[in-house]
Amino acid sequence: MGGHRPGWLSAWVSWATVLYLLLPITIILPVSLTDQRFLSLPYEALSLQHYARLLTTPAWTDAIGQSALIASASTLVAVVLGTACAIGCWRLSRRSTELVRALMLLPIIIPSIAYAVGLYRYFARLGLLDSFTGVVVAHGVTGIPYVVITVSTALAAFDPRLESAARGMGATLAQTLRWVILPRIMPGIVSGAIFAFIHSWDELVVVLFIASRRVFTLPRKIWDGINENLDPAMAAVAVLLVGMTVLLLLLDLALRRQRAD
Amino acid sequence: MSGRAGHALSLQGLSKRYGSFVAVQDASLEVGSGRFLTLLGPSGSGKTTILMMIAGFVEPSEGRVLLDGRDITAVPPERREFGMVFQGYALFPHMTVAENVAFPLRVRRLGRAERDARVRATLDLVQLDQFADRRPSQLSGGQQQRVALARALVFDPALLLLDEPLSALDKKLRAELQDELKALHRRVGRTFINVTHDQEEALSLSDEIAILNAGRLVQVGAPSALYERPATRFVAGFLGRSNFVEGEAERDAGGIVLRRGGTRVLGVGEAPPGPALLSLRPEKITVLAEGEGEENVVEGRIAAWSYLGAGYAITVATADLGELKVHLPAWRIPLVPAEGMPVRLGWPRGAAVAVAEDPA
Repeated sequence: MGGHRPGWLSAWVSWATVLYLLLPITIILPVSLTDQRFLSLPYEALSLQHYARLLTTPAWTDAIGQSALIASASTLVAVVLGTACAIGCWRLSRRSTELVRALMLLPIIIPSIAYAVGLYRYFARLGLLDSFTGVVVAHGVTGIPYVVITVSTALAAFDPRLESAARGMGATLAQTLRWVILPRIMPGIVSGAIFAFIHSWDELVVVLFIASRRVFTLPRKIWDGINENLDPAMAAVAVLLVGMTVLLLLLDLALRRQRAD
Repeated sequence: MSGRAGHALSLQGLSKRYGSFVAVQDASLEVGSGRFLTLLGPSGSGKTTILMMIAGFVEPSEGRVLLDGRDITAVPPERREFGMVFQGYALFPHMTVAENVAFPLRVRRLGRAERDARVRATLDLVQLDQFADRRPSQLSGGQQQRVALARALVFDPALLLLDEPLSALDKKLRAELQDELKALHRRVGRTFINVTHDQEEALSLSDEIAILNAGRLVQVGAPSALYERPATRFVAGFLGRSNFVEGEAERDAGGIVLRRGGTRVLGVGEAPPGPALLSLRPEKITVLAEGEGEENVVEGRIAAWSYLGAGYAITVATADLGELKVHLPAWRIPLVPAEGMPVRLGWPRGAAVAVAEDPA
């Protein structure tokens, strides 16, 4: 790729922006390694005690397990519904389907606090408050936009003649979907799944509203911990959260690169 | 690959309109069992639309499609059992060659053993047995084309439809695959329907050609019949090259006589007395040597010429007939052409064919 080399000013501004974005995240790493028993930078030595405690305290391991389970289940919901919606819109491809696709993005556009208040009122009537199902439904629905976006992008690159070819050879819609369309857009589905998982994995606002005693996800555990005591284990958890997210994003990147080859 | 013989297809008054745009106007056509028919026309002439109506992907606005006398107009494409080679081939990039060819059989839930046997036999047929485990992206254009053919033939289709099957290939490869396609048609004995804008391809491949212009079927017939006796100015100009001579026609015993200025041109065919048009192929005109005669003789001067290796292309300016293009094999030309040189041109009566003007 050709192009101009950036001038010193824009290079400087770019690096400042990167630092500005990264510093708050990087600060939690030393804090999580503190040798003290409260939230602080290490005084005398680095210590892994808070990580050890994290993985041996049932309250924390429970929260990790619950978060993983909820994220997995809600990813499944988001992937199935989001893919179905994207394929449906793509096949019909009318002006009305553009509207449907735009509607599907609402959970990203609407402030999550407004969304959470609405869910709270609604779930109270349905008896879904403070339940595993309730959180899975809420995270699943708010994860749909990520899947709709990535799958629609994949479909835009799908050669419609492949579908005609499959039909011409006698394939039913279900066969065409399973053997031709889904394999071709699988990278988009996987990308969407990764984003939906991350979305649920670090979602707090909705959980704060619709969960109380029984459902304790990791972000919520951190939130409560901050309010109750300044336990450095929270920094360790935060590092785990960020680590997991970065890992998933790298996976997505790797898959995209593989696809490009 | 044996079993069923080819099937006969009949189109009855097919039309397709998109809003006020008429893509195909009242097309009727019979394709006999085991024939190779080519729909030939410039882009936008409606040939692909007709093919898509035969395949079932486009619903006709009017008319019917019949297979062996049975009306299939309302049958969806996946139930028509037609093989199709798409423009650009539309191979499945995520499957190997063998998986691509097996696809129609997998769809029909054939047992694995029989599926494998038929895939192997069909890959043999198109000489691709070495490439079964490759992906389409690892094949050359010509090989991809043959995979598309194998995939379209493997399930014993009633008809094979080909949408510009050779247009993505370079000229040399195209000539090679033309021969292969023709041989394949002989071997499998199916009815083939091909779409192309390439008149050479149409002439060399087909048992029959249907020429389309602006959504209408202009003329249907054997390649030589269309070439020798084009019905309209469009057919004469699209299939090969042609000179056109306009004038006033009269009947005579051998056909028609066209008058233009002081020149009379003898021609064949039918035209009502009055203004008429003759088509005259450049390769049927000869340059006459001293003392040589012909049924039609015209004098003129060479306005331009070019050497083509196998022969010469000469443009001769005449007093009454305007400029005439002449193609001569090098060994038939009695002189060395030069601009401004006077020449006498001659051609037999049968070379001048009365053609109609196309409806606007």
